[in-house]
Amino acid sequence: MTGVADIVSACLMLLGALSCLLGAVGLLRLPSMLSRLQAATKPQTLGLFLILAGTAMRVPVDSAVTLVLVALFQVITSPVISQLVGRSAYLSGAVRPEVLVVDELAERGRRAAEPPPQ
Amino acid sequence: MSDGPRPRAGRAGWRDQLPRICWLTLVWVLLWGTFTVQTIVGGVLVALAVTRLFPMPPATDPIPVRPLRVLGLVGFLVYDLVVSTVGVSWQVLRYGPRARGTILEVPLYSSSDRVATLLASAVTLSPGTAVLHFAADQGVWYAYSLGPRDEADVERTRRQVLDVQRRVLAAFGTPEEQARAAAGEGER
Repeated sequence: MTGVADIVSACLMLLGALSCLLGAVGLLRLPSMLSRLQAATKPQTLGLFLILAGTAMRVPVDSAVTLVLVALFQVITSPVISQLVGRSAYLSGAVRPEVLVVDELAERGRRAAEPPPQ
Repeated sequence: MSDGPRPRAGRAGWRDQLPRICWLTLVWVLLWGTFTVQTIVGGVLVALAVTRLFPMPPATDPIPVRPLRVLGLVGFLVYDLVVSTVGVSWQVLRYGPRARGTILEVPLYSSSDRVATLLASAVTLSPGTAVLHFAADQGVWYAYSLGPRDEADVERTRRQVLDVQRRVLAAFGTPEEQARAAAGEGER
């Protein structure tokens, strides 16, 4: 029984680590601030959940309950940060237009959305 | 300024504050990780102190909450987290530096700030998409999505983002907002 739990736990942790690794690779390979932000924040969220789930199977129940809080606050805080950084990046012109297929925010043309001359 | 709103918040207090007190107590108990009388009583005391020290303005626009739909939304977000993580990983490995993205203008079907906040969190939580800007006065918001490479992809992404908005409104929207969302989707 513990053998099965160990294997499941190990699989969850490895999958979580793989997800985080892919996020890191994306951070290096993707072309723009916005896309890198996706790679930096999102696969980590899933990766963290998987690692937490794997950890929860190996620790006493009262510690596992605290891990729920970690997951919960990740869910609450991660979108706020990625939205703030993404918006700042866009407004400050850190997004090169050629990496976007369609940019309907620039099409409105009313905001300070144009990349400023560097 | 602190003279004005305080007494009103105090009177509106109990019913508005109760969810916050329950939530803060739960966080406290989870932090300790033990379900004993001490931690629960301690949690209630801490929650009371926090709500007293940092009063929130009373809610002006009550939003309907449908527990079953909320569960459905949570289930969808978990499913979406897994599927979209695979999608983002595919973009990273397959296209890498040649990956493309798009910024979409999406109609906003809710006038409530709190529903808009929930919507932004739901969309931004999903891998590959993020909300960039809300223009509530113009009834639109802007979402970034990683992955679309041509017009067909862009339209598919638009439908996905609208689908998330529909699910959020199904959980927290008023019937009128849901009708507008359904009508808006019918046009497309």
